[in-house]
Amino acid sequence: MNYSETLIDHFRNPRNAGMMRDPDGVGEDTFEGCGDLARFYLRVVDGRVADVRFQTYGCGPTIAASSAGTELASGRSVSDLLTLSERDVAAAVDGLPAERLHAAEVVAGALRAAARDYVARRNGGRGMEASRHV
Amino acid sequence: MSGRVYLDHNASTQVHPEVVAAMLPYFGERFGNPSSVHGFGREAREGVEVAREQIAHFLRMSTDEVVFTSGGTESDNLAIKGVAAARGAGHIITSQIEHHAVLRTCQFLEGQGFAVTYLPVDGDGLVNPDDIRRALRPDTVLITVMHANSEVGTIQPVDAIGAIARERGIPFHVDGVQTFGKVPIDLDGFGIDLLSFSSHKVYGPKGVAGLYIRKGTKMVSVQHGGEHERRRRAGTENVPGIVGFGKAVAVRAREMEAEAVRLTALRNRFWDGISARVPDVRLNGHPTRRLPGTLNLCFRHVESESIVLGLDLKGVAVSAGSACTSGNVEPSYVLVAMGVPLDWAMGSVRATLGRENTDADIDYVLEVLPPLVERIRSLSPAAVS
Repeated sequence: MNYSETLIDHFRNPRNAGMMRDPDGVGEDTFEGCGDLARFYLRVVDGRVADVRFQTYGCGPTIAASSAGTELASGRSVSDLLTLSERDVAAAVDGLPAERLHAAEVVAGALRAAARDYVARRNGGRGMEASRHV
Repeated sequence: MSGRVYLDHNASTQVHPEVVAAMLPYFGERFGNPSSVHGFGREAREGVEVAREQIAHFLRMSTDEVVFTSGGTESDNLAIKGVAAARGAGHIITSQIEHHAVLRTCQFLEGQGFAVTYLPVDGDGLVNPDDIRRALRPDTVLITVMHANSEVGTIQPVDAIGAIARERGIPFHVDGVQTFGKVPIDLDGFGIDLLSFSSHKVYGPKGVAGLYIRKGTKMVSVQHGGEHERRRRAGTENVPGIVGFGKAVAVRAREMEAEAVRLTALRNRFWDGISARVPDVRLNGHPTRRLPGTLNLCFRHVESESIVLGLDLKGVAVSAGSACTSGNVEPSYVLVAMGVPLDWAMGSVRATLGRENTDADIDYVLEVLPPLVERIRSLSPAAVS
């Protein structure tokens, strides 16, 4: 499998890995086919992502895309994050092989879920948002 | 340690330098077609027949009992379809953990009207010979069970299965691709009628293999054409490949025994080192009845592919137990048949050692693998929360 240098770099040196205490939003996504799971924690200040952390179980590309996903989310407005696409995530690791596109799907899905969770909490709701790819 | 450590010898091996040297003339001046009557043909024929003798000597069989094929897959196809077609209909017994070359050939025959029993294995990957006995039917035409599984290395009790087959007069095929040249194979003692064995797993070239067919075994050819291989396998012989195969076997005869002892010790040191340094790791396959160089591990809470990629980046080649296709990870069917729980099976990694591996290689892997597993686990929500 040929992976980009950017992907390999994110896999070797993941950015923003770990969990966050008292986040403003949490979201996760699982990919049923392979059991890959990505979870993102957001700290939001003035409607923008001020800090972001990830925890991921999955193959190398999913771990790398999670790391790249945190860089994409950093500083971005929550409303922007709500519409983050798989293509944005795939581009952030300089592309993914066709057989590994699920990495971008699970990461984009989890980041959108975290943004939705932030919005729901602000509107009085509580609890982690989750979505699922089947 | 040359900076790269190859631990995937069950997949393929580096051709032995003596084998390369033996093959070279057959790409050059000895290029003839062994079926030709002239001198060029006779030179090529001689190369093929010397190889046949080397292999017959190694397996203690007669030279007219070996057919050269293009690979282990073809040998399995020829054995199973050849016996089945000679009978026309009936029942076949095999196991759930056979190589796809056997499983899919059996499935094909099911489509042709044959009945097939796929026997389960126990937690160590062993077929129970009593299950074979219970599965027998009056119309059973073939028993086909592998000698050792490529993923976990468990060595089957082929002698006990062969005894049952012989008692009932049923042909017994053994896929010996993973054991040939690594552990002794006693064709008569094990009661084997057909044995598939391959070249590139034992430091020979790819694209060549053999099928042992015991004299008197009723079968038909499945590839039709010329009169090659005593009309059992049509097609011009892969002369350089066959010459290399013969040489590789001659080298195995010399090296096999000592290497088996050395690789078993090396493999055990690998396991002892990993199990002492990494929590939540399990060994798959039989603890002792196992191929000398085979070590199949499951790391809980990590996905095999991330380990394979992480090790690859450190110059270490191993293989993943689960295969990912378009986001669908299939846990290994072998581990599933052995009852390995899914959350473990997803993290299976296979390391298979060979003649070039040294103590320094294992030291290096023991240095890089534990922190890699720890790092990947530290990213995983399953392991953290």
